[in-house]
Amino acid sequence: MFKKLFKIFGPIIFALLIIFLLLISPFNYGLKKVSNDDQKKAAVSLDHKIIKGKRIKEQALGQNDYVAFFGSSEWSRFDPMHPAVLAEKYNRNYRPFLLGAKGTQSLVHFLNMQTITNNLKNKKAVYSISPQWFVPKGIRKDAFNFYYSPLEATEWLLNESQTPKDQYIAKRFSQLLDPNSDHVLHQTFTRIENGKKPTKFQLLYIKMRHQLLLNEDRLFSSIYISNRNENKIKLCTKQLPPTYDYNKIYDLAGELGKQNTSNNRFGISDKFYRKQIAKKVKRFKGFQAKEKFTKSPEYADFQAVLETFAKNNTDVIFVLPPVNQQWQKYTGLSQQEIQNAVTKIKFQLKSQGFNHIVDLSNDGDIPFFMTDTIHLGWRGWLYFDSAVGPFLENHHRPPHYQLNNHFYDRKWQQATVDQIVNFK
Amino acid sequence: MEKSKIKETVLSVLQDITGTDLSDQMDVNLFDTALMDSMATVEMLLQLQEKLGIDVQISEFERSQWDTPNKIIDRVNGTLQ
Amino acid sequence: MIFFQPYENPFYFFILFIALLPIMISILHGKKIHIYESLISLFFLFLTFGGPSWKQGIALIIYTIYETCLTFGYLYYRKRKNNQLVFYFTIFLTILPLALVKIATAIHNQKLSLIGFLGISYLTFRVVQTVMETRDGVIKQLKLSQFLPFLLFFPTISSGPIDRYRRFIKDYEQVPKQDEYLEMIKKGIHYIFIGFLYKFILAYIFGTLLLPEVQAAALAQRHNFLGLSWSLLGVMYVYSADLFFDFAGYSLFAVGTSYIMGVKTPMNFNRPWQSLNIKDFWNRWHMSLSFWFRDYVYMRLLFMFMKKKTFKSRITAANITYILNMLLMGFWHGLTWYYIVYGLFHGFAIVINDAWLRFKKQHPNKLPHNRATKYLAIFLTAHVVCFSFLIFSGFLDKLWFIPK
Repeated sequence: MFKKLFKIFGPIIFALLIIFLLLISPFNYGLKKVSNDDQKKAAVSLDHKIIKGKRIKEQALGQNDYVAFFGSSEWSRFDPMHPAVLAEKYNRNYRPFLLGAKGTQSLVHFLNMQTITNNLKNKKAVYSISPQWFVPKGIRKDAFNFYYSPLEATEWLLNESQTPKDQYIAKRFSQLLDPNSDHVLHQTFTRIENGKKPTKFQLLYIKMRHQLLLNEDRLFSSIYISNRNENKIKLCTKQLPPTYDYNKIYDLAGELGKQNTSNNRFGISDKFYRKQIAKKVKRFKGFQAKEKFTKSPEYADFQAVLETFAKNNTDVIFVLPPVNQQWQKYTGLSQQEIQNAVTKIKFQLKSQGFNHIVDLSNDGDIPFFMTDTIHLGWRGWLYFDSAVGPFLENHHRPPHYQLNNHFYDRKWQQATVDQIVNFK
Repeated sequence: MEKSKIKETVLSVLQDITGTDLSDQMDVNLFDTALMDSMATVEMLLQLQEKLGIDVQISEFERSQWDTPNKIIDRVNGTLQ
Repeated sequence: MIFFQPYENPFYFFILFIALLPIMISILHGKKIHIYESLISLFFLFLTFGGPSWKQGIALIIYTIYETCLTFGYLYYRKRKNNQLVFYFTIFLTILPLALVKIATAIHNQKLSLIGFLGISYLTFRVVQTVMETRDGVIKQLKLSQFLPFLLFFPTISSGPIDRYRRFIKDYEQVPKQDEYLEMIKKGIHYIFIGFLYKFILAYIFGTLLLPEVQAAALAQRHNFLGLSWSLLGVMYVYSADLFFDFAGYSLFAVGTSYIMGVKTPMNFNRPWQSLNIKDFWNRWHMSLSFWFRDYVYMRLLFMFMKKKTFKSRITAANITYILNMLLMGFWHGLTWYYIVYGLFHGFAIVINDAWLRFKKQHPNKLPHNRATKYLAIFLTAHVVCFSFLIFSGFLDKLWFIPK
């Protein structure tokens, strides 16, 4: 009988042992180093797996000249004036590590920052923040769940200490996260939200899960990194003049813009228009007339990002991109609403000492500023670069931030522009 | 009723339903060979009821006990006694 | 305290293994300790229906009391009288909670209403067949100490497979011999590990990694005529694969766990992608459900129609019963257009399939029959099935009707 039992269970016990050694152990299997080539690919891959991971981000930002560029879908609009192209071509002393894709907003970036806090400490960063994120419901549930990374979440949980920020974050996670993705973590969020510490069991679970995810990240994160965007960048650099000359590049941007926007009256690139809009252009007329950006939980999500920057003494530059104005008129999107959001965002930034702000939100009418409906391109990227580039090339000056926890309050999330004056 | 008569009746019912003379393949699995399906089963039970007066409830119909001509004859014999 | 969905993660399996150890040891020593088994069942029910799901737990308790009273009450009645109307009314009452949950879900668009809990439909199947067999006189006595373990058998509580009362009780009361039991453990472990492959690797690849991508791609092309695109075809294949591996994986866990507990719960899948036609498919896919419908709906309805000669032709009777049967199954999945269309689709598919089989029987030598036609049949069947799963997925609802 025992022989038979051993035949049945022996392989399982053996397999469990191997798995245990592989995943629970803190060894790094000599896999620690990510090659420079992989870092280069990863920095522009925009792959959600890179955003959700740790090792590659950590090493690129820690060992080399990469600077975290937080944002969303704009990063995928590569043309010769894209910040990654200009930095590469003119061999600047920094390279962007692009963190952001369609649907990433402040709450995702907050998570995103958890695995790289050491790399933000006393460093610089770029944060592109779109007023259109600030819709009444905030980040979409599906987008959040798509970009939610258990590795980053457990990393945060190991560092949280029931501050107002932590309670706020826990509340947001328990609202947005699909409970089925991990019941224990979901229950932990609910506890923290209610001001309680995680139970002993929960802490143990978090630690084990964190170690496991960490090892998973170590073992598998660099298995396949796409080089598609890296190749795009290489091609783009060839179109630029050999030495940096703002006026020449400005003219080139205009030329390229003109060549690529011939099939529509909105100044949208031909390919985008043909694929995304042409067939249903009528449906877009007036479809954004009712959009509002003044009241949104996104303001408090953004505050969690600001707090993380402040805690790490990060010198950040914020860029507020515009919307293509011809398109905006067609869809009925109110410039007033966008400006209300801009006013609130700027107040939130300035009143806490975040003074590097590049406000492009009124430049959507400059020809060839946008590559499509809401994304910077050609001249827009050049404007972006001429503000961000010098900021990054200069020496780090220690910032002085004064945080205000009231920015987590519902009162601020729901404040109108007129109420800002009274906000303390 | 005589056993040979029962056998004859069952085989004629089966031939009527499956369209095949099964007298030389008494142990063929009727369901695996797709000779019968649930509709044919219902028909068979109805015809057996009509011709032999046996009352088999659907609950009692366990496929594994009715899947060859021999087994069916056994079941019918069992019910009649 | 920690709470789980059944078979949710490795930790659940760890607890499961610890809990099953005493059962294994006792059966190997030729004994079954029903009290311990019941305690373990209760413990795992608590893991699923306690804590944050406590409302479901209450619903489960009330439901169990209600259905037990009905079943035992009907048996008490049946021993004395056998009125058709009483039987129909009892069946109506047993289905009532499930029907209310389905209606409430359709109206409020919530997963579970107040009286609902995970697995209510599977419990209802078990109750209904017990009442039906009681009425047929096949079940002559019920014991609470057997009925409750049958109803609440924890490995299969959330999604089956649907066992039969008499079959279950036979296994439950019988202690397998040592050699036989060792073979059962071996099988059980084998099933569970195939389940790991299906549920945690393949279903993860298809459902978690691929499905959102193809769905997003298909949604991006929703402006096309009927939303048709190559990506939609991708959604169809990926969803079908996910559905199969997810459910087959779960079923293997349930069957494997049952085997280790000494109960040979019937299998749910038997290589469905090798089906030669739609009827064959339903003998291989979610078998415990389709056999349930075959035995307790289809055969009974058809028996009644044929006996009363409701329809002139027996083929008409069979066809109408097929459609009613599958339609009912569609309703059982939920009161949305796509489940109902899914049911009707399969009903008509079987009718067409049947007509084709009759045609083949009548022209035995005119149609080619070789390896190529066999693979063609498998290919066709798989695609008809995948298409029906695309309907079933509800993705078309999202694609066509839900505004962005």
